Amino acid sequence: MNVAIPTLDDRISPVFDVAQTVLLVELDGNCELRRQTIPLHSQDIARRVGELSQSGVNVLICGAISRPLEEVLCAAGIHVIPQTCGAVEEILRAFVAGRLNDRAFLMPGCCGRRRRRGRGAGHHGRSGRASGGRTRGGRQHPGPDGQGQKQRER
Amino acid sequence: MKTAAEANTHQVILDSVADGVFTVDLEWRITSFNAAAERITGVKRAEALGRHCCDVFRASICETECALKGTHRTGRPVVNKAIYIVRADGERIPISISTAVLKDTQGRVIGGVETFRDLSQVEELRKELEGRYTFADLVGRSAAMQQLFELLPQVAVSASTALIEGESGTGKELVARAIHNLSPRSKRRFVALNCGALPDTLLESELFGYKAGAFTDARRDKPGRLAVADRGTLFLDEIGDVSPAMQTRLLRVLQERVFEPLGSVEPVPVDVRIVAATHRDLDEWVRAGKFREDLYYRINVVRLRLPPLRERREDIPLLIERFITRFNRVQNKDIAGVSDAALAILMAHAYPGNVRELENIIEHAFVLCRGGLIEPQHLPPALHGAAGKAPRRLKTGLTLAELEAIHISDALRRHRGNRAAAARELGINASTLFRKLKTLGIDGSSSPKVR
Repeated sequence: MNVAIPTLDDRISPVFDVAQTVLLVELDGNCELRRQTIPLHSQDIARRVGELSQSGVNVLICGAISRPLEEVLCAAGIHVIPQTCGAVEEILRAFVAGRLNDRAFLMPGCCGRRRRRGRGAGHHGRSGRASGGRTRGGRQHPGPDGQGQKQRER
Repeated sequence: MKTAAEANTHQVILDSVADGVFTVDLEWRITSFNAAAERITGVKRAEALGRHCCDVFRASICETECALKGTHRTGRPVVNKAIYIVRADGERIPISISTAVLKDTQGRVIGGVETFRDLSQVEELRKELEGRYTFADLVGRSAAMQQLFELLPQVAVSASTALIEGESGTGKELVARAIHNLSPRSKRRFVALNCGALPDTLLESELFGYKAGAFTDARRDKPGRLAVADRGTLFLDEIGDVSPAMQTRLLRVLQERVFEPLGSVEPVPVDVRIVAATHRDLDEWVRAGKFREDLYYRINVVRLRLPPLRERREDIPLLIERFITRFNRVQNKDIAGVSDAALAILMAHAYPGNVRELENIIEHAFVLCRGGLIEPQHLPPALHGAAGKAPRRLKTGLTLAELEAIHISDALRRHRGNRAAAARELGINASTLFRKLKTLGIDGSSSPKVR
């Protein structure tokens, strides 16, 4: 699974719409296989989504993101975990450990939970352990290992 | 040291201000946040205090040119800079900001203050006036284009075959690319094939590919465009020009989702979304028996019509602006725009070549115009009224073949070397044109094909 996190120094970039670099981390279950930093050249929605798609991104963990951009990302099959803040390494550890829903990683103004959006939600990996593992549609979240919470519990 | 009463008074004053106000310390953490700031950002004061200002404010400039950091560095305030913030619900809110440094009684810098004003209403009015003019690489304020922009995302996410109708140069391939880029297939290839430009045999091998030994010179397997576009999008331009035999083969691909490369008997399954385009009236073509009805109904699932430029003249100034911006960037020039006189000429032109022709006209003007505004003298002579339209006086005593050669060369020049378009104008098949070029000894490639 390829997880992308837009970065600003060692923190997550506050607004994905204008982020200039993305840390791309390839995970196999809980193991990090490799990482690389890729530049984002365009602020045009279609091109920005195209750049992520071409890099094979499955999950995008980002800060604030505008609704049209998030919708097109979802349509492209990229699972978006928005309104995330904090240090990049801590976010990555929390994602792997299923703790991304801890309040410490939520941007202010989210009333304690992230908004979720249609297609793509639940296809890949918001870690299910902390979140209860279900999308609005009632589907199971696969975690970073590609398995749902129930499967892990079994 | 501030007393509780003083702090309370300050907060009451701040809360009575209509603009959003927040202050930060030297570590960029929020130290005060007024009621208007809560309303505009959607973040409660209690949540905002102590947090990094960029996590709370989420502005378009936080990453690249933070106004507070700029003011802190230079000591100069920022006044009424227009930016946008992204609220937790994903809404972009246009605002204008002003910043200043905060100093204590000894004059030491202890942080910064930022005030901001919600420009949503102003922006709404501006959008109402200007409309929403761009989508992917398409530009248009006209009703027809606006309707198309609204439809495109829905068409993109569906898996249906789409048919784009429009004259040559209206941007059919741009629409097809936008559909692909916004679709779940965007990770895969977008493959374009102009069916009108190729003779049947070539089109067949391009589309289906071939196996080694299928014909002389087929030394190794070559995958066709269909195979290359597997799980992606195949754009078939000028589908109306496809021969009846090829129509039958295309119908099979669309119906059964399998094809056979030349020289193979094994059907190959393929998962491809077809976006077809034509400059012809396919309804008419079907009625005339030139296009298979069953194939027509297969491709005519979602139908999009691109109007010719002469039907959406209100888009001409926008398109001119777009091309000038692009050519300024590419050619490193600084052309400000077009003069009123030049714009009047451009607005009056009929544009048989549509947007592509307008783009070429602007490119022509860029060659002649050194800076400032594009004037009438920078435009191609053909645009200057009757003078440009005067028929060329031909010398007498020409043979029929010589006349034919002149006529074909003119058509090729008009279409910038595009043989398919030239053949259409001349009312002959592309393959007939190829043959004539050969027999008359015309070098059709001497006129560069633009797109």
